[in-house]
Amino acid sequence: MALDWCEGGPRIDGKRRKRDSVNIASARQSASGASIRISRLEKRFGAVSAVDGVDIDIAAGEFVALLGPSGSGKTTILMSVAGFEFPTSGTIHVDSEDLTYVPSNRRNLGMVFQNYTLFPHMSILDNVAFPLKMRGLRTAERHARAEAALATVRLAGYGHRRPNELSGGQQQRVALARAIVYQPRVLLMDEPLSALDKNLREDMQLEIKRLHAELGITVIFVTHDQSEALTMADRIAVLRDGKIQQIGPARQLYERPANLFTAGFIGEMNFVDVAVQSVGDDTSVALPWGETWRLPATAAVEPLAAGEAAVLAVRPERLQLGVSPAGQVITVTLSDIVYAGAALLLIGRLPDGTEMRARIPGASQLSSLAPGDVASFTIPTEAMLLYRGKRQ
Amino acid sequence: MKPPTDRGSLALGAYVYAVLAFIIVPLVIVIPMSFSQNDYLAFPPSGFTLKWYAEYFDSRQWRAATWLSVQVALLTALFASVIGTAATYAMIRGRSRLVTAFQILLIGPIIVPHIALAVGLYLFFQTIGLSGTIPGFVLAHTVLTLPFVVFTMAAALGRVDANLEAAAMSCGATRFQAFRLVTLPLVLPSLASSALFAFIISFDEPVVSFFLSGVRQKTLPRRMFEDIEQNLTPVIPAIATLLIVLSILILLGAHVLRSRSVTQ
Amino acid sequence: MIEAGRSHFWHSDGRRLSGLSTLLLLLPFFAIIAFVFVYPILQLLVISILEPHPTLDNYARVVENPVHMRVLMRTLWTATLVTALSVILGFPVAYYMSRAKGTVAALVAVCVILPLWSSVLVRTAAWSFLFQRNGLINSALMGLGLTSQPFKLLYTQSAVVIAMTHVLLPFMILPIYGALRSIPNDYERAAAVLGATRLRTFLEVILPLSLPGVVSGSLLVFLTALGFFITPALLGSPQEMMISTLVSKQIREVLDWPFAAALVGVLTVFVTLLAIIFSKTLRFDRLMGNAS
Repeated sequence: MALDWCEGGPRIDGKRRKRDSVNIASARQSASGASIRISRLEKRFGAVSAVDGVDIDIAAGEFVALLGPSGSGKTTILMSVAGFEFPTSGTIHVDSEDLTYVPSNRRNLGMVFQNYTLFPHMSILDNVAFPLKMRGLRTAERHARAEAALATVRLAGYGHRRPNELSGGQQQRVALARAIVYQPRVLLMDEPLSALDKNLREDMQLEIKRLHAELGITVIFVTHDQSEALTMADRIAVLRDGKIQQIGPARQLYERPANLFTAGFIGEMNFVDVAVQSVGDDTSVALPWGETWRLPATAAVEPLAAGEAAVLAVRPERLQLGVSPAGQVITVTLSDIVYAGAALLLIGRLPDGTEMRARIPGASQLSSLAPGDVASFTIPTEAMLLYRGKRQ
Repeated sequence: MKPPTDRGSLALGAYVYAVLAFIIVPLVIVIPMSFSQNDYLAFPPSGFTLKWYAEYFDSRQWRAATWLSVQVALLTALFASVIGTAATYAMIRGRSRLVTAFQILLIGPIIVPHIALAVGLYLFFQTIGLSGTIPGFVLAHTVLTLPFVVFTMAAALGRVDANLEAAAMSCGATRFQAFRLVTLPLVLPSLASSALFAFIISFDEPVVSFFLSGVRQKTLPRRMFEDIEQNLTPVIPAIATLLIVLSILILLGAHVLRSRSVTQ
Repeated sequence: MIEAGRSHFWHSDGRRLSGLSTLLLLLPFFAIIAFVFVYPILQLLVISILEPHPTLDNYARVVENPVHMRVLMRTLWTATLVTALSVILGFPVAYYMSRAKGTVAALVAVCVILPLWSSVLVRTAAWSFLFQRNGLINSALMGLGLTSQPFKLLYTQSAVVIAMTHVLLPFMILPIYGALRSIPNDYERAAAVLGATRLRTFLEVILPLSLPGVVSGSLLVFLTALGFFITPALLGSPQEMMISTLVSKQIREVLDWPFAAALVGVLTVFVTLLAIIFSKTLRFDRLMGNAS
């Protein structure tokens, strides 16, 4: 792990509190965000590439989520930004300063861990005041600032307790307070809500968003939970096997995923194998049961060529029950009907056996449907997406 | 920019390996010295010979001391295993309000300095004529090794389900049969390893056997002590090498047995 | 109720042994501990205050004679020195062990535990060879040009301290290793990202959290060092005795039993008291698991 031994501490309030020495990361007077540029980041462990050429540009004050399954490299990227790992190649710049090989304790970044990582032998107040102590602040001032930080996360007055006396949610709030008390311009979060139960998680998500808005700080948030990423982030970077699949706002990721992996990873998606017949102003594809559909060229997310195998993708909630001229019609033999309160999930098979799912709002009109029935759905043209390759 | 050299880690590594060398070198050094041609204990040793090993095996005194230690160790292993296992079994499966007394007496031999016990037993055994006798040595060493046996067997017996014996007894077995046929096989690795442990502790034990040894009956450690104190010939490194090898073999065996019993 | 109690004494209920069986199985244990451990030690203590007549003179002799007091002080000082050296040498090793992975960790563990598997006598004998006038240490020092004359190393108290440290080092390393292992890596990372240098991380986070292990190891080493016999007897000088060697001399040469008993009494009571006071930190059952 990258640390320096003695020389110089990080700055605070723009002033250096310790002896003069080289200090690279600077913190301005008020907390606002720093821009981050990650360039061609690579991290290899022997023959395995955990991070394989990643470029991310984050604007000041942006909230970016790194989303992906385990092993996708998202945590390694965060570790590199935090300074716990040195990349094999590539650079990391924060506000144009090259932090790639700067020891962790001189980067002046805030970090929150999955397991809170509060120091068990210190009081809550001492935990929050710890970074200020490292920066040479006097006791009275440290405690005052720590109290203010605790008030920000609505835990004022808890200073004298010990971490093991607090609930998980409270501990995570203390960890947040500790991470922002020295006004860093970047906040790193490593799956901070995974250890909390569901209701608590939603409250904490709001808390974090509120803090983000209040402080204007730049946030990198690692998670494997896509709904979390979709609700919280300005932009989401979807990662797989060390490479970025797509970066964009939630809407873009959801409505126009850039590749098959992202399409299947984010939300629910129906996939049908098709064959491309012709391309041009329109793209025409042949469906497995013999029909041919004409789709606008914009439906193709990836460039297609005639004769290729392709995949047609459509979200379950875009399927409309019934026949309508506004799109293509499919017939589905229903196998399951799942009642979910506000919506109905209909599961069935297309004529060629491919599974199809539809989410229909408003259950009242559909009480007549039963497993075994054959139902017709209309897929609006603009809801259809085409990708190269085959279904997995 | 390039990654900075982690001088801190390097310094720590260097220090640690120096300390590890400090720990290992004395052990290793006796081995080459045991093959040295020279009569005096110079370093580095010159030549190669097995004469010191020959001297050890040929000498009547060394053989007698070794044989005495072997007998004592074997008997100690036997008694400590039996008494210790019986007591542990009774503690775990029995009804007794003596638990606290048991635990206190158990760690007594560990806390109290061996010299205190050695001196006390020297006096006591003199008055009842057990000093310098095999039974005397065995009694003393059994006391010293009992805690180890009990700790090992407590862990092992604790892992065996009490219901197994109850089931056997409901099929008609007596308590002893149930123990012998059901529980004993399950704890056998631990029993064997604690017996090995007791053997090597007794065989190597220097302090108590120093005081209890008489003119005729001297244990191997006592004989070695005298030799080191008085003449210090290279026979000592040869014996030391043999002892190191023996210890490693026995404790390796005990270790293997213990890990086998854990996986059960 | 009484009847049920009685019948449980004579009969087992399948799961639990009868009271009688329990007693019978425990009898050999208690008998041997009582006769071969408790009685001899008590007898010694009794002698120390009853011989040659009921008196505390024997203990008085311990305290009044400056030579004897020096022996006691030397013993305490040696034990303290050995403990301090063990911490200085052992803590970094324990830290390194706790953070190492794979083969490195296994190798270090073997190096630390292996000496435990050979007897004190063997290890002390090895140091005897090392400290010889023409032994390894002197040869190395002269070979490196650090000195032209061989040092007298053998039969000095320094030799005793060094050898005892060597013997007791694993007893310091293992408890500290246990304590350090329970400190998750994330604590060090958190301290770092919050701005702590390595030194401050150690002082503010690692050291406080590993303190129970340090205390535990220190007690173990200190208490064992107080009663050490073999190493002082073989490597020490007759002018610089420790309690154990003084006891040995009194018994084997001077034949002053009551006084020797008093010395033993002082040692035993002191060690036992300390062990009782710190009984919670010592946790003997854990030690067994580590040593094998």
